[in-house]
Amino acid sequence: MTEKAKHSRLFLWFIQVLRVCGRELLLVFRDSGVVIFFLVLNAAYPVLYALIYNPEVVRNERVVVVDDNRTALSRDFIRRMDATQEVAIAGYAANMQEAQEAMHTKACYGILHIPRDFAQCAGRGEQAHVSLYCDMSVMMRYKAMFTALSNVTQAMGNEKMAAVVEPVLNMSGSIVENRQVPVGNPAMGIASAVLLFILPLVLQQSMILGIAMLHGGSIERRRRNGGRDPMAVEASPGATIIGKMMCHQIIYTLPVIYVLHYVPLMFGFPQYGNLLHIICLAVPFIIVVSLMGQTLSAVVNERESVFLLFVFSSVVFVFLSGVSWPRYLMSRLWWLVGDCVPGTWMVNGYVLMQTNGATLYQVSHQYWMLWLQVPVMFILAYLVERYINRRRYRSWIAASEDNPNVLTRIELAKNGVG
Amino acid sequence: MIRKYIGRSFKRGCIQLVRRPMYFLLMVIMPILCCWFLMDLIKDGTVQLVPVGIVDQDNSDMSRRISRNLNGFQQVNISHRYNNFAEARDAVQRGEVLGFFFIPDNLEELALGGRQPVVSFYVNYAYYAPGSMQYKGFKTISLLVNGGIVQTALRTVGLTNERIESALVPYQSHVHMIGNPFINYNYYLNSTFIPCFLSLFILLVTAFSLGIELKSGLSRQWLKTSGDSMFLALVGKLVPQTILFTAVGWFIQWMMFRCYDFPLNCNPWNMLIAMFLLVVANQSFAVLMFCFVPNFRYGTMLCTLLGMVSFSFTGFSLPQEAMYPWVEALGFTVPIKYYFLIMVDQALNGIDLYYSRVYYAALIGFTILPMLLSWRLKKECMNPIYVP
Repeated sequence: MTEKAKHSRLFLWFIQVLRVCGRELLLVFRDSGVVIFFLVLNAAYPVLYALIYNPEVVRNERVVVVDDNRTALSRDFIRRMDATQEVAIAGYAANMQEAQEAMHTKACYGILHIPRDFAQCAGRGEQAHVSLYCDMSVMMRYKAMFTALSNVTQAMGNEKMAAVVEPVLNMSGSIVENRQVPVGNPAMGIASAVLLFILPLVLQQSMILGIAMLHGGSIERRRRNGGRDPMAVEASPGATIIGKMMCHQIIYTLPVIYVLHYVPLMFGFPQYGNLLHIICLAVPFIIVVSLMGQTLSAVVNERESVFLLFVFSSVVFVFLSGVSWPRYLMSRLWWLVGDCVPGTWMVNGYVLMQTNGATLYQVSHQYWMLWLQVPVMFILAYLVERYINRRRYRSWIAASEDNPNVLTRIELAKNGVG
Repeated sequence: MIRKYIGRSFKRGCIQLVRRPMYFLLMVIMPILCCWFLMDLIKDGTVQLVPVGIVDQDNSDMSRRISRNLNGFQQVNISHRYNNFAEARDAVQRGEVLGFFFIPDNLEELALGGRQPVVSFYVNYAYYAPGSMQYKGFKTISLLVNGGIVQTALRTVGLTNERIESALVPYQSHVHMIGNPFINYNYYLNSTFIPCFLSLFILLVTAFSLGIELKSGLSRQWLKTSGDSMFLALVGKLVPQTILFTAVGWFIQWMMFRCYDFPLNCNPWNMLIAMFLLVVANQSFAVLMFCFVPNFRYGTMLCTLLGMVSFSFTGFSLPQEAMYPWVEALGFTVPIKYYFLIMVDQALNGIDLYYSRVYYAALIGFTILPMLLSWRLKKECMNPIYVP
């Protein structure tokens, strides 16, 4: 082959890519379902999620007191509990039965029991005991009540210890001070912890859903038109995949910046990451997700089945990324499955950037893993396009040539006709 | 006559289920697989051995003892040692460790001289559960260090062990975790998340199976098989799904309560009935959404959105009383909320059925709601319109 012919083939291939990309753009904006996935979902869903979790922490959890001691000390203890941010004393109960009744009717979620000998023990220099009964239906409730109780007992304990120790040792009880520095998520809130994990996954899922819906639309057109899609552009499998991927990259420029940068900004979540670095991390991510969407959409037979087939996977991906159960505790199997999902790498890189101010260099492992997924996912997408999708179209065309109604009849049978 | 219509409608519903393999996948395989995934993922129950670092700038006998003792804790695992603060910070940024314990210069000297040195711990709360665990470990060790020094000092002046103990911890708190004494994360998370997952599948499948009638234009024929009665048509279509989903739901409950030993402090029938009601309520909820929005795409989208968001606004992770009032109110619009409340009352806390009566009633209420609006769906079925 001469040099010129080679060049012209490359040029033609490139033109094919551009034509596919242009057509895909047209199809996206003509289809309101896909626009909803690509743009509306990305715009609204993170905001909705953020609003749900925005209170961040549990404040004033209702606790009922059973005070069998009724002394100045027990009242002081209760006042201090009430003064904590986490707990509010909802009232006194005469006995445990009454307190249980309050808990059963959800008037409170915890019972603080102060035994009869509380002040007496403290006065005698013995250990004084208090009990807290927690409702365990939600962990954050337990955590709030537990924190309040341990802070109060510790503060009162320190005062008492100082009173005992000082005359003996000539110093206060606190010899080594300790200080907690919450890093990454200074508010220690749940929204800042959960949302940053969810944001990149919203991008991933919305894109997969949109791509699959586009593919479902194309399959439906083929079914009606004897195996041919009048809207498709004739192009080689490689050019088709790359053209579509380019289109998705173009469309996702704005959602990426909005979701990853502006949503945390709007809600005051940790945002120590450099926008440029975040975008750099997002580039391979969007490429892989586009290729992954094209691979997975082979299972879609109609536009609406994307809801059934892909929506639930969001929850699975969220768990695999390690938001509620840390990845280092996962079994080998789930660890590996998580590794195969681009979202996992993106989420962990993004969270480190936004919460701890990591640079792209510091999350280079995640970054390179995303780039490593690009060729792997491309090969998968290519194999699916060439050996599954195109083979299927050819068989449909052949079947329709014998009997033009065969495809619709199959569809009708599925719906219970005949 | 009615029996004939029901029979025909039921047969049609069954045929549709059988002819699309996707239904079997989404109704049986995926719910069970997802359930197994969540249970297997969290089978250890508690977050422990959080990888943390330590910066020991003192390198004294005392500081080495601290790090040895800290490593003995179940909560944390000192996986790295760093020479200075900058190295440790870099490691946190790279995600190598999730936090670190900082022991400053001259800790031992200052402590023994009574000049109150400060040990600090840096906890990365971006990872919520490991963050809380680290805090527990770090806080305990800091208190123990202090206690250790005071204890030695008090012993040298001749105080008895009992006096020392009460001087160090004058107020002892006992926390009773009702129903989940080991703070098992698996019990807590999965007893709510898995039914919520199943709810999502029920909503999606019901919405799809209704929508596909409108899309294919066969809705009029669907009504005809049941003698133009919307109610009979719905019964015929949904009962086969109810049977399958209930069976799967019970199987999942069997896995939870028998294989994985989730707390079940009530009569098992209370939970079995709640599961059946959850299935029917979710199906009815999907029908209701379709009555509101008799359009394949938007109806399905509404079900999907509510199904997904119910993981958050029903208050599994952030409790309902901490939410904004409108979010809390929204939580009560989905059936899974009531199942969650029943699960807490019955299976976890084992209280009288009397206290959960409203939740059971609410689930039954969901099944009645769509009957009031089914005329809208019928109207749409008589003139099906499909816009891609």
